[in-house]
Amino acid sequence: MEITEKEQVPPVFERLRTGMVDGWWTVFRMLKFVLPLYIIVDLSKSSGLIDSLGSWCAPFMGLFGLPGETAFAFIAAALINLYAAIAVLAPLDLTPWQVTQCGVMMGIAHNLVLEGGVLSSTGARGGILTLCRILLAVIAGWLMMGLQWLGVAG
Amino acid sequence: MTALLDATLGGLILCSKLVLIVVPLVTIFEVLRHVRIFQSIGSRTEPVMRCLGLGRSAVLPLFTGIFLGIAYGAGIIIRSAATGQMDRRELFLTGLFLATCHAVIEDVLIFVVLGGDGVVMLGLRLLLAIILTVLLARLWPRKTI
Repeated sequence: MEITEKEQVPPVFERLRTGMVDGWWTVFRMLKFVLPLYIIVDLSKSSGLIDSLGSWCAPFMGLFGLPGETAFAFIAAALINLYAAIAVLAPLDLTPWQVTQCGVMMGIAHNLVLEGGVLSSTGARGGILTLCRILLAVIAGWLMMGLQWLGVAG
Repeated sequence: MTALLDATLGGLILCSKLVLIVVPLVTIFEVLRHVRIFQSIGSRTEPVMRCLGLGRSAVLPLFTGIFLGIAYGAGIIIRSAATGQMDRRELFLTGLFLATCHAVIEDVLIFVVLGGDGVVMLGLRLLLAIILTVLLARLWPRKTI
């Protein structure tokens, strides 16, 4: 395939320099979102928000065929990250299929606040994308419960 | 007060990590962007990308994000957007794919440790991200000039 666009290729040194400058510019653009959101998320850890949201969500976990305690892991995943989630998940006595189910659902929807900010910093609609993640996690959860119910897996 | 201080400190540590990874990544990207091999990779992957409703400028952010994580993919997306290589539609579709499917290796391994099935987790996430992106690309047609 021939290269149609004839872009002037600058020398390597010039490219290194532009790369560095652009790299810093990119990071600063992201930091505007990341730093304040990180502080909010970190403060919410000690505020008991996870506990109260978790106990509110617990009765609904049955909809996915999961025990109520997993709600705390889901909230921890959504607000903080997956490492916080498995710390909650590990002591629970889940079947391998339930762990896989949690893995897919939390894999899709985790660290929503911070990553939503990162997505917004690219110029995309971070809020809508985050909503898509939550919806897809719910769909994936039902899909996997269905697979198990049909006896295809688990 | 100490909580706020701790949070700020943690945030600054995260920021320095971002600097350490994103600055070299963008620099490498800027240097390699003009190399012929990378341009031909762009042309080869074009048919696959077209299915997702994306152009060749989305290849690198997409793969960076899938393997390294969303923050690093985003670093490259910001560059591509700033140089006018990606429009709003492409930004959203790339963001959609990466929002649902990123840092797959790390994420999957975390749950494999607990006894989850890695192949199912990886396969299902990729599949769902592809379906969602293709669906939205169809519903939101590219502007014809």
